[in-house]
Amino acid sequence: MKQVWVILVREYLEKVKTKGFWIATLALPVLMLGLMGVSAFLGVRSQQAEAERPLVVLDRTGALGEAVVDRIGNAGYASELLEADPGIEEMDRRVTDEEIDSYLVLDERTVSQGAFAYRAMDSPSRVRSALLTAVVGEVALENRLAEAEDAENLRALMRGGSMEYEAVGGKVAEVARVAAKAQGMVGAILLYMCMAIYGAFVLRSVMEEKRTRIVDVVISSVRPWQLMLGKILGVGSMGLTQLATWMVCVGTIGTLGIPFLSRVAPAANMDLISEFVPSAGSLLLLAAFFLLGYFLFSSLFAAVGAMCSREEEAAQAQVPVIALLGIPFVLQMSTAGGASFAWMDWAALFPFFSPILMYPRAVDGSVPVWMVAASIVLMAAAVFAMAWLSGRIYRVGILMQGKRPNLRELYRWVREA
Amino acid sequence: MTPHPVRLSGVSKTFGAHTAVSGFDLKIPEGSVYGLLGPNGSGKTTTIRMIMDILMPDQGAVELFGRRPDFHGRSRVGYLPEERGVYERMKVLDQLVFLGQIRGVAKDVARKRAGEWLDRLDLAEWASKKVRELSKGMQQKVQFIGTVLHDPELLILDEPFSGLDPINQDVLESIVREQSALGATVLFSTHLMEQAERLCERVCLISRSKKVLDGDLKDLKRRERSGTIALEFDDDPSGRGGSERSGEMEREIGSWRGVAGVARAGDAWHLSLDDGAAARSVLAAAVESGAELRRFELLEPTLHEIFVRHAGSAAAGNEMEGGLR
Repeated sequence: MKQVWVILVREYLEKVKTKGFWIATLALPVLMLGLMGVSAFLGVRSQQAEAERPLVVLDRTGALGEAVVDRIGNAGYASELLEADPGIEEMDRRVTDEEIDSYLVLDERTVSQGAFAYRAMDSPSRVRSALLTAVVGEVALENRLAEAEDAENLRALMRGGSMEYEAVGGKVAEVARVAAKAQGMVGAILLYMCMAIYGAFVLRSVMEEKRTRIVDVVISSVRPWQLMLGKILGVGSMGLTQLATWMVCVGTIGTLGIPFLSRVAPAANMDLISEFVPSAGSLLLLAAFFLLGYFLFSSLFAAVGAMCSREEEAAQAQVPVIALLGIPFVLQMSTAGGASFAWMDWAALFPFFSPILMYPRAVDGSVPVWMVAASIVLMAAAVFAMAWLSGRIYRVGILMQGKRPNLRELYRWVREA
Repeated sequence: MTPHPVRLSGVSKTFGAHTAVSGFDLKIPEGSVYGLLGPNGSGKTTTIRMIMDILMPDQGAVELFGRRPDFHGRSRVGYLPEERGVYERMKVLDQLVFLGQIRGVAKDVARKRAGEWLDRLDLAEWASKKVRELSKGMQQKVQFIGTVLHDPELLILDEPFSGLDPINQDVLESIVREQSALGATVLFSTHLMEQAERLCERVCLISRSKKVLDGDLKDLKRRERSGTIALEFDDDPSGRGGSERSGEMEREIGSWRGVAGVARAGDAWHLSLDDGAAARSVLAAAVESGAELRRFELLEPTLHEIFVRHAGSAAAGNEMEGGLR
């Protein structure tokens, strides 16, 4: 075991000690943070710019003005209701003289159909025009509804009605269901990416040792399976380091970002957001599927790397492995619209498909627990079987130079190793 | 320890239609410095790879420390392969410590020894540089340190000197001698006959995948001694023109008893003797002739000559070509 450890440490340090690793690892959260920051900054800036001077409301109806100013205030903008009507010409002069930026004119048409004028030298921002249209429209509508009898019902109807989802056999909150689906999907994408990327790392690392022939020296001191295991564990540790770094970043952004978000957008529903934060249980499940899936695929990638001497050969030889990763991924993505088929639940039991197909099903509870358990047991069994098989291919292939073996030769390697 | 750390009997290996090694027997005595000599492509590397269990022989048996070359046997060997493999992105010292560690040397011990070796091979200032920043020759020295770091009982070096400048070749030679003096058995392959002549106690000549001859180098030379005598005179006039005097001299030497033929070789005369003639009588004649005798030597054949004699000049031509590279 000492040897495996030494190899693990070497592999890990070689990968983690490079600038490239940290650039790649930190680029993602920095990019995310940057995007969030830029959009938040721009939003705040434009709000501030527009909020600098109060919006003046010229109310000629005598009925809507106060309500409109109230609601604009609620949305976080300053506005001011004119007591007296100085006339349009005087108001326009104030705009051109830059005493005020803009003003609203509410008149009879506003009462009857919610139309109003926005007078300014520049057209309003999209946010501002949407806000004002909504506010004025709402106030005008309510003004009319106040005259009708069942105002509440009419209001609901006006909003376009609503559908309530009622799960048969146990009431599941709609939001929780959507959140679980989303979590499953994100998890599947993450699993796919991790297995593909870290698998490729293992492949490249094996090929490099073979190409430089350092393996001739190393293999005279350690057993092939130790070298393979150490390498897989080393790359895996690198992957975990990367994932942990991301987790810390996301956590930091989350704890700092949510209060910020609630300040910028007070209307955002915090309960809704918290539904999307994964539970400890689903994270644990993700970790289990990641580890099993990673071992399964990285041992295959190691065997492919050991078979090949040149990059081009490897590109060809890894096609079956990539297919084993890609097929479940495509299947899973096809269910993003909501439709899944029963046979997919069964396909998810196939160990190579399990991480990507079974994890989302386990998280959203669309398959019974025994199936999840069965898939984990099957995957564990497959990990051992593949370790055995790949180990034999690796053992022969790693010291072999020249052309890639065909299937029959491969069979001989496995039998004779 | 077995008296023969490496033993091959009747070993053959083919790659497709090409026979790399055929019916090969080899016994390497404990504590010897053993040279595996032959032109490029004669099967040296294949033989070594079989000893290291990287290749399996098609026929015959390979023994390392008296057993099939298994993991335990290999871990007692310091192996320098022909193709130099290094982890290019690792730092020099880290790489050496790693190589030591996988052979069971404790980390701090490996670090200390690696530091000493780097000092000795003039690489100390490169210790924290990445291996790929080093020149090929320096990388080779680093790899050599990796080979001896765990104090192996047996050193197997495949073409250890190729690619090194003469100064570093000398350094490496002295280290090989030193390791041998410390009790290690050394097996190395080379196509440079002169090197082998300087370094080896025993040699095995291979040509075209077959063993030509092997044995103790001194014995071999004595056995292969051709009976040629080299003579040099201080007042030899023939060196400074005077072809007339030279011819006179040649005739005089040729008239000595037991001398069958005379030939000029640089400053010296090479004399071949009649069968059964004693070198002693030639020496007496030379002294009697009154000339100032500077050199009298019973010439031993070089390894190259022995090789040519046994493997034919075609194979040797190949060797020369390789040797000049």
